Amino acid sequence: MNRSLARRTFLNQSGLGLGSVALGEFLQGQANAQSGKSPPQKGLPGFPNYPARAKRVIYLYMSGGPSQFETFDYKPKMKEMDGKPMPESFTKGQPIAQLQGQALKVQGHLAGFKQYGKSGQWVSEFLPWTAKMADEICVIRSMVTEQINHDPAHTFMNTGTGISGRPSMGSWVTYGLGNETENLPGFVVLTSVGGRNPQPISSRQWDAGFLPPKFQGVEFNSTGEPASYVANPPGVSPNLQKGLVDAVRVLDAKRNEQVKNPDIESRLAAYELAFRMQTAVPELMDISKEPQKVLEMYGAKPADGSFASNCLLAVRLAERGVRFIQLYHRGWDHHGDLVRYMGICSDLTDRPAFALIQDLKRRGLLDDTLVIWGGEFGRTPMFQGKGGPGRDHHIKAFSMWMAGAGIKSGVSHGETDELGYHASKDVVHVRDMHATMLHLLGVDHTRLAVKYQGLNLRLTGVEPARVVKEILT
Amino acid sequence: MGRLFSTVLVFLLGIFLALNQAVSGQESKVDFNRDIRPVLAENCFSCHGPDQSQRKAGLRLDKENEAKANRKGTTAIVPGAPGKSELISRIQSADSAEIMPPPKSGKKLSPDQIQGLSQWVKQGAQWSQHWAHEKPILRQAPSTKNKEWSRNWVDKWLLWKIENAGLSPSPDAVKTTLIRRVYFDVIGLPPPPEAVEIFLKDTSPKALEKVVDQLLKSEHFGERMAMYWLDLVRFADTVGYHGDQDHHASPYRDYVIDAFNRNLSFAQFTIEQLAGDLLPKPNSDQLIATCYNRLLQTSHEGGVQAKEYLAIYSADRVRNFSAVWLGGTLGCAQCHDHKFDPYTTKDFYSLAAFFADIDEAKHLKGGADSIPTKRLPEVALHSSRELAQIEKWKAALAQLENDPQGNHQAEIGKTKEKLKELEKSKRLVMVTQAITPRTIRVLPRGNWLDDTGEVVAPAVPQFLGKAPVKEKTQTRLDLANWLFDTKEGVAELTARVFVNRVWSLFFGNGLARNLDDFGAQGEFPVHPELLDNLALEFQNSGWDVKALIRLIVLSRAYSQSSTWTADLLAKDPNNRLFARQSSFRLPAEMIRDNALAISGLLVSEFGGGSIKPYQPAGYYRHLNFPKREYVPHADARQWRRGVYIHWQRQFLHPMLKAFDAPTREECTAKRQQSNTPLSALVLMNDPTFVEAARIMAFGASKESAENDEVRMQKCFLRVTSRNPEKKETEVLLKVLAQARQEFRAQPALAEKLLQTGLAKITGQIDSVELASWVSVCRVLLNLAETNFRN
Repeated sequence: MNRSLARRTFLNQSGLGLGSVALGEFLQGQANAQSGKSPPQKGLPGFPNYPARAKRVIYLYMSGGPSQFETFDYKPKMKEMDGKPMPESFTKGQPIAQLQGQALKVQGHLAGFKQYGKSGQWVSEFLPWTAKMADEICVIRSMVTEQINHDPAHTFMNTGTGISGRPSMGSWVTYGLGNETENLPGFVVLTSVGGRNPQPISSRQWDAGFLPPKFQGVEFNSTGEPASYVANPPGVSPNLQKGLVDAVRVLDAKRNEQVKNPDIESRLAAYELAFRMQTAVPELMDISKEPQKVLEMYGAKPADGSFASNCLLAVRLAERGVRFIQLYHRGWDHHGDLVRYMGICSDLTDRPAFALIQDLKRRGLLDDTLVIWGGEFGRTPMFQGKGGPGRDHHIKAFSMWMAGAGIKSGVSHGETDELGYHASKDVVHVRDMHATMLHLLGVDHTRLAVKYQGLNLRLTGVEPARVVKEILT
Repeated sequence: MGRLFSTVLVFLLGIFLALNQAVSGQESKVDFNRDIRPVLAENCFSCHGPDQSQRKAGLRLDKENEAKANRKGTTAIVPGAPGKSELISRIQSADSAEIMPPPKSGKKLSPDQIQGLSQWVKQGAQWSQHWAHEKPILRQAPSTKNKEWSRNWVDKWLLWKIENAGLSPSPDAVKTTLIRRVYFDVIGLPPPPEAVEIFLKDTSPKALEKVVDQLLKSEHFGERMAMYWLDLVRFADTVGYHGDQDHHASPYRDYVIDAFNRNLSFAQFTIEQLAGDLLPKPNSDQLIATCYNRLLQTSHEGGVQAKEYLAIYSADRVRNFSAVWLGGTLGCAQCHDHKFDPYTTKDFYSLAAFFADIDEAKHLKGGADSIPTKRLPEVALHSSRELAQIEKWKAALAQLENDPQGNHQAEIGKTKEKLKELEKSKRLVMVTQAITPRTIRVLPRGNWLDDTGEVVAPAVPQFLGKAPVKEKTQTRLDLANWLFDTKEGVAELTARVFVNRVWSLFFGNGLARNLDDFGAQGEFPVHPELLDNLALEFQNSGWDVKALIRLIVLSRAYSQSSTWTADLLAKDPNNRLFARQSSFRLPAEMIRDNALAISGLLVSEFGGGSIKPYQPAGYYRHLNFPKREYVPHADARQWRRGVYIHWQRQFLHPMLKAFDAPTREECTAKRQQSNTPLSALVLMNDPTFVEAARIMAFGASKESAENDEVRMQKCFLRVTSRNPEKKETEVLLKVLAQARQEFRAQPALAEKLLQTGLAKITGQIDSVELASWVSVCRVLLNLAETNFRN
């Protein structure tokens, strides 16, 4: 019992207080100790709160803010108004980014739109592969967010607030639900570039905030060293490294017979996981052994650092039981020369996203994997001209899509006004998206809360948030 | 699982109750602050508290007069009469429509809490101000059964509670543990072997005192204290948002280190940071100190709206000011009145108004995507320390030149050169310059687009009283002075908050557990009297930080062993009573400093621009505007202390990050303590630690020929300050044997391992032998004992 008490105390000292959550973690530790197994990251007891539709999330984060007017939100009226002043009734008193102080003109669609599939979803010609799976995805055209500049908008999308220091959604999810693999972290981030001068992205976007640091997202690289410090020092063989880990474990355990610090127990486990990661991560990241057919399906070449490779890696991570997989593609910030850069971004991401869905299906994973596609905000119906025509940041309406576990396929949800400025029907706030994602994972968003600085904080914050039941099967 | 769950639950409840009784001793009287306020805050305040917009039925339970007022025939609390008190009948109601808190709130009172509330009402429903805002009383230390143990009055307070709980303090820690503890705690470095030896031999009762006094004089003391202070004020080398470009802040870091070393009073230290520019004829350091007001995250992203960012910056400053000095969590009052504490939205914006004179326009106009960026106003300054050095050298030069006997040409030349270099070395630093204050309005629901809110003047939070009224608009200087004003200000709160944090540095936890929340939701301290006395002692000493630390460190309680005993574990598992010391992993910077110091690589230089240790290639690839490449320093800066590491907010050095150093975007009063696989990977594979092992092994190899066992013992002693046990030596000798075997078979691998890091080794080297010992040293540097403070 001493050992367990020590563990409990350790949890109390971790800054999370005496909440039910800490108690739960302790009890889980008890159960594990009894069964003789020590999974690295079990979820909280009582979670999931109800049967989960999705076991994991693959989040295709289109960083920079793809234009909804060249992807999913078709507005015939825009064509008529092309080049004419944007009526002030839309824009008055609204936040605005780079177009501050400039004349606002309507920018018509810069790509053709057609309806696809049995569902007849509207998709632009930039996304021919996505068009092919129109019947497999649910497009939300009425997204809104609250932050108009990239950095805080990313923070808002990932953490539910523009203030730095809060946990990201992947951390919340792994904190609540744990991880299904003993060899890899529960939350993995992969990035790729291509398109217009890529916007920066901060590690804050996958940080654990005030949650225990083990729930932070870990960045893997499909080119170069697969993760920071995962390679042995030069000249050190795996065997010698194992010798080090074993010696540390024996010496620490021996010393701990005297000092009896529960922290040292968890340190021993961390060394074991670290050593396993040193083998598991390179094995995972090496896609050269995938059949040529599979590589071609994605358009991936081993170690090319592309979004295509990352999509394939996402599936491999999903297969191995990683809970939350986030892929950033940085290049979607199209203030000018939109057609050219949109072409580049679409070429790099459209087919891989299609391949991802097909591959998940093929491997039997799509039924319990939730796939989300979207940026931190959308783009204005108004013209911006840095180089050729482009569009500025826009937060009052944009599009995302979801697919897989528990999501209706071949459905468009929500509408925007005739010029696509405001989400006008079935508005989906970022918080609603978060609540819906958690719901599919079997989590009641109001119950996944942690006491921090006297407040019960949660991903969906204190403002109302609703599960978008309309898009669920 | 179900049975296990309930068994454990029952057991835990038992512990809770036992602890509760143990801690409260024989006192049967319900204490409002300890027993009642937390229950009301947790369960009632969100609907019956300070936030007007959420208040139900117009009832407030956070204010005595309203809670006891007769409202249309019913009274929530009737002192002495639980039966007539609506509150008591509602919390006991069997009717789901009547019961409080309502079931849909998800909150439920335990039978103990209900019992406690009734008892409290029965005993007269005595109210008191929140403990952190009550006037502290200087109390005589209580008498204890054990008259021998205490060394100073701090001990008596602790011992009193320990005895009341039926426990005894832990025995003194063994001397090697103690000297390591005090070195890490006071200067953040391990004791050199000679210091350990002297201390072990010194049997006088003053042995520890001598060490402590020596350490408090060390320049490393300031570096250690700065690690903590810089977390609070969120000091970093980069702007934080978007392009995360470098900005000019390093002179401020040096100011902080120097201020702790000079033992500047905490009051003066604070005043200089908040309002140094408003002091009469501010000196160089006082201007550098005002960089505090500029440390917040800023954005240089194209398309930021000035008005929006002025609101963001304003809120950031209020959050940080209140967190650092008031232990307050004001963030939520940006949009609505605080739910648990009496901070209103108006308070939030009135505090913001103090900072409305800070020149922000220049930087918002002149944002630059360059490294470093421009964040005007910036000025090039020498610190007062540097100016003094210049004067010193000038005087020395004059003396040399005027010496009629002397032929000092060589020395004169050298001094002139040093002088020239220092005179050239002014560094730019962002400072505060006051301009005509901007108009500050209450922003309804925090919305910066809404101009309908009331215009507010600078004012301190209303429930905390008023800053002394003058015939003029209040300034940052008034705000700073108010923090230390014992009559009309909040000196007691300022003192309690800081003293509690200092305590936590030396005991692992605060007397009040929540270092960042001295509000209704923060835990009531188990030792309110001790906290009071320490706060008053600190005030009366003229806010003397070193004296405070000396008092704490020289207590008997500080010297206790940190080892658990079954009794302590059962009766006080969270160590609320401080009947033992704490054992915890070193903070990130010290993990580095320790390895460097052990190996002999550490370069103890003071101040200067931030340093860049080895870092994984491509780690900054997600930064842009501009793109940048990280170039590790290839000179002595490579081996300087962690406190000087370049603090990149968006991509903090992965070694620091792995060991829980915060990104310093917001105030951090207490770092997390994690054990992640990433931190294990750092200690095993980061070139800094491999290099340290290499140099340590090389150092050991230079000693006269000795057998493996003797050398092993020396290495072990060097790392842990103690001799290894037989079993430990055996394990390490096995590592040595394995390494020898591998490297003998493949000598090229040994050569490779010895290439790690820039530090040079010279002389005849047996690569296989050296690489084998590097392997042993790597094990030693990875041990928990090496990286923990016990």
